[in-house]
Amino acid sequence: MLSIASILIAQAAAPTATPADFWLPSGASNHVAGVDTMFHWINYICYFFFVLVVGMMVVFIWKYRAKQGERIRLDGMTHHKGLELSWTIIPLLISIAIFFFGFRGFVDLTTPPKNSFDVNVTAFKWGWTFKYPNGAQSDNLVVPAGRPVRLVMRSNDVLHSCFIPAFRVKRDLVPGRFSTLWFQSDVPTGLDEAKGYHLFCTEYCGTGHSNMNRKVLVLEQPEFDGWLTKQAAWLDEIPDEELYFKAGPKLYARCQQCHSLDGTAGLGPSWKGIWERVSNPSGGVAFADGKSYSDLIGPGKEYATPEDYIRDSIYNPGKHLIAPYGNVMPTFKGQLNDRGVEAVIGMMKHLDEFDAKGAWTKSVPVATK
Amino acid sequence: MSTVTAPRPHVVDHVDVPDNYLTHSRGFLSWILTLDHKRIGVMYMGAVLASFFVGGVFALLLRTELLTPGRTIVSADTYNQFFTLHGAIMVFLVIIPSIPAALGNFVLPIMLGAKDVAFPRLNLFSFWLWLAGAGFTLYSLAAGGFDTGWTFYTPYSTTTTTGGVIPVLTGVFILGFSSIFTGLNFIVTVHKLRPPGMTWFRMPLFLWALYSTAIIQVLATPVLAITLCLLIVERLLNIGIFNPSMGGDPVLYQHFFWFYSHPAVYIMIVPAMGIISELIAVHAHRTIFGYRFIAFSSIAIAMFSFIVWGHHMFVSGQSGLMNTIFSLISFSVAIPSAVKTFNWTMTLYKGTISLTAPMMYALAFLFLFTIGGLTGIHLATLNTDVHLHDTYFVVAHFHYVMMGSALIAMIGGLHHWWPKMTGKMYDEKLAIAGCIIIFVGFNLTFFTQFMLGSQGMPRRYYDYQPEFQIYHVISTIGSYVMGIGFLTTAVCFVQSLRSGAPAPANPWGGRSLEWQCASPPPHDNFKNTPRVGNPYDFSMLQWNPTTKGYDVDPVREAAAFAVEARNEQARGHA
Repeated sequence: MLSIASILIAQAAAPTATPADFWLPSGASNHVAGVDTMFHWINYICYFFFVLVVGMMVVFIWKYRAKQGERIRLDGMTHHKGLELSWTIIPLLISIAIFFFGFRGFVDLTTPPKNSFDVNVTAFKWGWTFKYPNGAQSDNLVVPAGRPVRLVMRSNDVLHSCFIPAFRVKRDLVPGRFSTLWFQSDVPTGLDEAKGYHLFCTEYCGTGHSNMNRKVLVLEQPEFDGWLTKQAAWLDEIPDEELYFKAGPKLYARCQQCHSLDGTAGLGPSWKGIWERVSNPSGGVAFADGKSYSDLIGPGKEYATPEDYIRDSIYNPGKHLIAPYGNVMPTFKGQLNDRGVEAVIGMMKHLDEFDAKGAWTKSVPVATK
Repeated sequence: MSTVTAPRPHVVDHVDVPDNYLTHSRGFLSWILTLDHKRIGVMYMGAVLASFFVGGVFALLLRTELLTPGRTIVSADTYNQFFTLHGAIMVFLVIIPSIPAALGNFVLPIMLGAKDVAFPRLNLFSFWLWLAGAGFTLYSLAAGGFDTGWTFYTPYSTTTTTGGVIPVLTGVFILGFSSIFTGLNFIVTVHKLRPPGMTWFRMPLFLWALYSTAIIQVLATPVLAITLCLLIVERLLNIGIFNPSMGGDPVLYQHFFWFYSHPAVYIMIVPAMGIISELIAVHAHRTIFGYRFIAFSSIAIAMFSFIVWGHHMFVSGQSGLMNTIFSLISFSVAIPSAVKTFNWTMTLYKGTISLTAPMMYALAFLFLFTIGGLTGIHLATLNTDVHLHDTYFVVAHFHYVMMGSALIAMIGGLHHWWPKMTGKMYDEKLAIAGCIIIFVGFNLTFFTQFMLGSQGMPRRYYDYQPEFQIYHVISTIGSYVMGIGFLTTAVCFVQSLRSGAPAPANPWGGRSLEWQCASPPPHDNFKNTPRVGNPYDFSMLQWNPTTKGYDVDPVREAAAFAVEARNEQARGHA
């Protein structure tokens, strides 16, 4: 058992990516050595006991199988205190040892260093937003290499779970609480998504559960700093007149799982014709509470302008439900600022310029109507 | 081999009596209103097997969908409903009632030499409750189905738009009461209806197992009922108990749910262990090794099962201290499991092993349970569980235990008691072929899922990364092989019902009391309370080639009783 401890300590210092083997995928974080060593040691113990039990079983069956006309043997022992105590006590000792090393590994796994770099993580049905201290946002988790990173995570709707197999970390995101997870990766991937590590949702959350995967991209510190600055400013850097077709489609990527552009049925109403509906509000019943667009939108009504209505639908999606859709949309308050909302509304106003997947089909910028 | 000529009261009594529990009365009402534990057991068995077929079809559909990444045959929403239904049906309608309610109901009173369970009316009522619960589950499909996963985790289960959530919760609530009543009945029956001479330590180990299971059923299931009620209240009346947006706590739900559902795992596996103790001893024709250790380990597992639920929640937000405590206690379950495994293996030592179909299932159990149990270590260990939690590794682990062990034991038990239940023998070769095909298919299906999980594939995934496909393809092929195996077994049973040879009273050479009444048993099981001996003393048995069953040599039986009486006296003096 001492040798396990020494291996744990020796490998914890190794900073390179481990290759994939029969059981475990390639690993690229500080937790890999501890978890993998533990996993393999447990495996060796399992191999031993499996071979022991199945080996004895096979030998006994072969040796003591009934032969034609044979009498029933009567010399088998009924019990043996020594044997039985030994297979009570030995597994007990092994279990306690495994527990102890697993516990030590778990303490390492759940205790982030004080100097860690924090990333705020928000999960929703069905995607992730990663937010950085300088206000930058990203759909993929981009982190600096060689520095402990702590994820401060929350969920907007139901349970989700953040799992990065290559880092051997996992933690549930529970609505109404913050949960944390930390790692340090020393193996840069660059900004190429194909080289990034998988990030999965591992707590069942409905229709898009299996498509809630993102990439973890590890950048060298200087490259990371550059990315972070650029990322924080991306919405502001786009000129106003180009906002709806440059920022719109990027933001729409978060909406497209539920809202189609071409009228295809989805979990939420299609955007097709949305601007006509809200800018010329009709009197017909459209909402689950029996109200019509004209009851809500117009001077002196709840929403003075159609833009107000759209904005509130993004921030308080459950307030006025369009029939027959359920209250399933997460809020985007705190994720989409006014400029983002402006980009989305701009896109809604110019839907004829986009194809069914949200790609802008015009090649020259046109002035806003 | 001598044929026995002297009449022996407890065997010959019934040979010329044509009346048995199947022919005792006729008509649909004579079944649905019966108070006979045997008929109730048979009806449970039919209902459980029908549910198993439905759950199995969903399993094959799931595996087919997973042949390729993305859409193969159904949409994501349909897939989510399929795995939810597969899990809910297999857990609540199949595995939990399979051994206690179906086999237990049939076997337990006869093993005790009793005429029926303590409360026959309650027994029938619990079957009706099962039917009502199954009815609600069926109705939930008509009401729009449900896509919550069998665990009904909040807040997803209280916010999902599928319409069948409340009907299925009601169904499971009712099924819970069916299970509680069966447990209650068994506890009282074991306490009150043991025949003279059957001390606790002369009970067959299957009874110890059923008794331990009954304790869990009675103590744990009410917690499930409360939890489901709270869930219904929250969903129906918007009272915030679990949903944080209304001031509730979703982790609280998980504590409640697993406080039942972890012991429920032992409601599934402990009676299976009891069956295996019977099968191995009887078919190896050798006294069970370490009777007391096996009996006490059943009780130990039942007790430990209540204090390990937190190991389902290592990454879900409970405190580090709780994780540590639950991890430590979880390892304690390994000890009685290891004790049983080694004792079963040692029972083969110096036995006279007949490789009959029930024995093949028992050996398959030993193989699969060893894998299922050992991979539990990876999951009880804190730091490895973080990586493996909610991946296919967990799926593989609990299928090895719940299907590879609990269900395999159930089917092994069905083969063992089939001649007793139906009065017909089956084609042994076909039954063994079925067993081997199921065994091969099972390992193909689920062993690959260990790799799939440890490589990082999350569970409940409709779509997946292309690098996982090879494992999924092998797993799906395995599931088809398993399907063929079950089909073979079904053919074997149907064939037996249609044209099986009449079964002798004791085809395998068992010594527990059910082998001392005719096959099938008469309505009242025993005319006179039979004489109770050591259920694992096979010394007086001899093969009778005419009846193709085992007879008792009265001289050696008298000698065995004399030895026991002497031992008893010696213990009394000591």
